[in-house]
Amino acid sequence: MACCRITAGGGRLMLFSGKIVYHGSRLILAAVFIYSGLIKIQDVAAFAGEIANYQLFPYAWNYLIAAILPYLELLCGVLLLINRRVRPAVMVLTLLNLVFIVVLVSALSRGLDISCGCFNPDSANHNSLSTALWRDLGLLVLMVGTWVLHGIRCRLEVE
Amino acid sequence: MNNAAIGSPLQRIFLEALVLCVFAAVVGISLNYQLIFNAFSGKTVAVPTVAVVAVPDVASDNAAPIAPLPFPVELDELESLLAAGAVLVDARSASAYRQEHLSGAVSLPFAEVESKLDNFKQQVDLKRTLIAYCSGYGCPDSFDLGVILLQAGYAEVLVYEGGEPEWRAAGLPLVGGD
Repeated sequence: MACCRITAGGGRLMLFSGKIVYHGSRLILAAVFIYSGLIKIQDVAAFAGEIANYQLFPYAWNYLIAAILPYLELLCGVLLLINRRVRPAVMVLTLLNLVFIVVLVSALSRGLDISCGCFNPDSANHNSLSTALWRDLGLLVLMVGTWVLHGIRCRLEVE
Repeated sequence: MNNAAIGSPLQRIFLEALVLCVFAAVVGISLNYQLIFNAFSGKTVAVPTVAVVAVPDVASDNAAPIAPLPFPVELDELESLLAAGAVLVDARSASAYRQEHLSGAVSLPFAEVESKLDNFKQQVDLKRTLIAYCSGYGCPDSFDLGVILLQAGYAEVLVYEGGEPEWRAAGLPLVGGD
């Protein structure tokens, strides 16, 4: 990356603490989405079943979404892990997360008794939809933080 | 700062995000084209969680015989089977059944099969053809329930893998919400 020079003065402390928070958020997001992607890739059909439970898409489209989504999560997670193309990866994950939040709210409002399908597509392992919603809101905070701190860090280092 | 300086990095980020999506789509579709093709063409995708069921061999030391497994059945075959007297069996939870189920289905939640099987056998004759279903492809409960029903003495048990989501998508009648 081009942004790699530390400035003197008060910016240095801000830069240091910002760096810690930035890398912490980035690595947490990377771990979550690499895990999430890998576990879904192992059983795409089961993940399609989890998506179908939300009753939002035409039947066959659940399979198309289930085939693509895990690879997108995995790709973005890997980019965050290696600290490359961070903002495009965060943009994709933020949009996905917003969609997940809308879908979860929709399922909760319809009173669906289903597994959230967020990680392990195993029907015996039912995750609470409200827990998943809170988790997604937490991830959203990390995503916004990573996006903002990446920009600040670059500006401080470039100046 | 001018407008071009604000706009162009965001545009670049957006384009790179788009490239990520396209790349993931190409990889995902390439690696799962058969599954996607089957789903769009309406073919059954069997997802058995119990590949073979060995019955304990008490008669000899030879290899145990393989217990019968339920056959998959597709949506377009259901109509004739139901007309011939087959019974739909809902393997999902009792609350999911109450909320909505396939028209004419009987509830036998896989999670409660041990306690409810005897009552089910009193209601449904062993000679009837059973069609188990749950929440669609990837849901293992219908297949697992089918195995148990065969072991319980039912002569013909089929599994409708498309389950409730495919039935709903086909516009077929659902009952429930009471």
